Amino acid sequence: MTIQFKPDETFRDEFRYANSDAAVLRFPFPFPEDAYMYSVNIEPHVPGGATPAFDNPFDVDEHYVAECRERARVLEQDPSRCKVLPHMMAAQWDTLELIMESLATSYPAHFTLTREGISWTWENRPLGIRDSFTFGDASTLPLPPFEYITRQAQGDFTLQDQRDDNLFIDAGMVTTQADWSLDFDVGMSFHQWHGPVPLAHQKGVFDRALKFLLRLQYGAPVRRLNWTMTVNPRLDTSPENYPQWGPDRTTLTAENIGQKLHLRVELQSLFRLPRSNAILFGIRCYLCSIEDLARVELWGKRLHRVLRDLHPEIADYKGTTRFREMAVAYLAPFDDGADLPVGTAPRQDTLPPTALPLGR
Amino acid sequence: MLISDIKSRPVYERLSLDGAGRRHLVLSDAPRPLGEVIDGTDGADAPLGYWIVAATSAVDAQPQAEAAPGNAAPVEWRAFRAASHLLDRLSHRLAQETVGLRLYAIGEEGFIWDVARMAREAGLEPSECFTAHAGSLRRKVFCVHCKTVTSGVTTSIAVCEGCGAHLVVRDHFSRMHAAFMGVQADAEAPGELPPVEEVFP
Amino acid sequence: MTARPRTMPLRVAAAIPLSPTLKAFTLIPADGGLVPPSGPGAHLRLNLPVPGRMLKNAYSLISNPADRSHLAIIVRRVAGSKGGSAFLHEEVEDGDVIEAGLPANLFPVVRTARRHLMVSGGIGLTPFLAYIAAFEAAGTPWELHHFCRPDERGVFEGLLARYPAARVHLHCDVDLGVLDEALLRQPLGTHFYTCGPALLMDTVMERAAALGWPRARLHSESFGGAAEGGEPFIAVLRRSGLEVAVGADTSLLAAIEAAGVEAPCLCRGGACGQCLIEVAEGIPEHRDHFLDGEERASNRLIMTCVSRSRTARLVLDL
Repeated sequence: MTIQFKPDETFRDEFRYANSDAAVLRFPFPFPEDAYMYSVNIEPHVPGGATPAFDNPFDVDEHYVAECRERARVLEQDPSRCKVLPHMMAAQWDTLELIMESLATSYPAHFTLTREGISWTWENRPLGIRDSFTFGDASTLPLPPFEYITRQAQGDFTLQDQRDDNLFIDAGMVTTQADWSLDFDVGMSFHQWHGPVPLAHQKGVFDRALKFLLRLQYGAPVRRLNWTMTVNPRLDTSPENYPQWGPDRTTLTAENIGQKLHLRVELQSLFRLPRSNAILFGIRCYLCSIEDLARVELWGKRLHRVLRDLHPEIADYKGTTRFREMAVAYLAPFDDGADLPVGTAPRQDTLPPTALPLGR
Repeated sequence: MLISDIKSRPVYERLSLDGAGRRHLVLSDAPRPLGEVIDGTDGADAPLGYWIVAATSAVDAQPQAEAAPGNAAPVEWRAFRAASHLLDRLSHRLAQETVGLRLYAIGEEGFIWDVARMAREAGLEPSECFTAHAGSLRRKVFCVHCKTVTSGVTTSIAVCEGCGAHLVVRDHFSRMHAAFMGVQADAEAPGELPPVEEVFP
Repeated sequence: MTARPRTMPLRVAAAIPLSPTLKAFTLIPADGGLVPPSGPGAHLRLNLPVPGRMLKNAYSLISNPADRSHLAIIVRRVAGSKGGSAFLHEEVEDGDVIEAGLPANLFPVVRTARRHLMVSGGIGLTPFLAYIAAFEAAGTPWELHHFCRPDERGVFEGLLARYPAARVHLHCDVDLGVLDEALLRQPLGTHFYTCGPALLMDTVMERAAALGWPRARLHSESFGGAAEGGEPFIAVLRRSGLEVAVGADTSLLAAIEAAGVEAPCLCRGGACGQCLIEVAEGIPEHRDHFLDGEERASNRLIMTCVSRSRTARLVLDL
């Protein structure tokens, strides 16, 4: 399959970013039901799902080239968005191998991995990269293995070391995050780095999730979806740059909210790595304006209901307090209150030019 | 908004000697009677050191054997001129140590987490290094925007010593940085600051 | 929530007897290519078709994790075994193809450790052969104390011959006191690993703890051994609509598998938690090391690989 990339997109300043109709229809919409609450919503990360976004271990879409360029820009300003503690070298090579093997298998038109024992050649045609190196010898790559390969993948990545019946976030490449800081959190245990999340601790979500992840098996990756909302199609909503993007939240009006407010979905995947026994955590970020989402009838209605009935503490934690009412008002005309089926598949093959208001 | 009940925030308990240890070293950032800072030293026969910060140049850190009532072994007592003086001596001690040591630190958070970091870097496990809080609650705050650590913060909003931002001091704590997280309070609406309260006396 | 782990066909490239009871197997992918990557401490689960049933036995990988041309294991022939080791010793020959699970690791090295102290007994040396290859490649300091019978000393000496003599200590006496000196002089940052007979592991772990080693530094591996049978009972598989008789000397998991029902599992020794199944009715007899006190008391969960039933019938959500 050949993907038509859109290399001129930007995720800051003038925000040159748009989803094609096909990209809207493949969006990993996260709400199977009308109400949202934290849960351990983990399922096997196997090909197939509600949309084609779930078809490959690492999803590549039309925004690939532009997202890799945005990552390079963030790292130029703040290199500590990529941090790897010294004991994670085996996990770095595990990551490089897993991503290279997966991309070359999933997208042979764009990526090729050639191996002769430990002499490897990697070709990334969309980014114009071709490097030959010795697997296991970091001096033969232009960058450390984890940084090298995660600069060529969409979404953030962290590496969790497993020891003492716990997971420690001991490495990461984090440039497209929903308001958490790798530089501050690096080295933390599972419960520590999830510390700021409200409600879920009391519900025992993290205890159960940790117990499950500690026995995650090689060859049996899992995934889950998480979500928040972002004003403008901005990937870098980091705490580091909060002074840059925080004011965006005050720019929303009833007129522009449909285009400016984006549902931000993270397709999170977890892989047990074979050599290091670490866990690779992929956090693949998708952005879609609520105007575009409402063009899918089921999604427009359901998003309206979820936002309308959201638990106040979760609404606050996800940073929606300033604009939630406005978003609910924008979506209300598209919701006729009819019962909706459980599930997230779009149930339509084409999109109307704009969402159609439905009378109640 | 000050978020409390964050799970990364350390919870302290009173120190108690870990009977499984073969050597014990207790560190305090102020002169305090040993029995006041830790339980269980009376019957202990494993070698025990007690190092304190005296905060005066009049002391010289020379070890002194102090007979401790009930103890089979005397306590090796040392007084240091400052916390830095103590930490420097500690780094040499840890480099010579073998598995079996237990380390205990009591004092302000800045001090005890400096000790914990040094212990981790020397190869001690968390289960071999115990911390307890005493004294002021003032915090070290890591500015997430400019990476400067501002010490001695006692208020809910603090001015960053690096970039001048008004930081909300969150309860999210990093053992790696030995500091709490600070995030600009008025990033969304510049100039709109909540009232400043004295919360970490 | 559990994805079914894949299996792969492996061809026996060489089966070499090391002693009357020890046999080394070199395994390569039956359809060419590279074996999956693995880390030090990983094991391989082999599907062994013994008469009347399929055994799934786990063996530590001894091959160098960095070398993906082959996988290697050593199998001790156990007198009165469940049949797996006898099958491998007597039935399996060069060229045979065995179905295997992907390598899994329940005994990984601690990556933050600065030094590694290993104590093994007999065939328990096997995971440490992979450890040592990794330590040597990374330049991490290590020390091994291996206990074995005098008649097998030569075999183990041969397996360890390529490594610096100062790091390897072979002991043919049963006096574990020689370990005290080693346990007392390890610098901070050392981690301790043991593998071998349960009695050896328990004893050396206790010894280390008595010398001031905290639990976080002590690591041990054992396979199976926990499921020694007990009172027979009936397992009702609610979703499959089957009733399975669990005999006095079979495990619940083996009985389920013999009935043709696919059940999740990994370690088959009560440690990993992969085989957890919900209990609808009946009271389990817990023999695992995984569930916490509250979970046990709830009687709602069972680990099928080792645990049994206190009631004549146990209804499972399977």
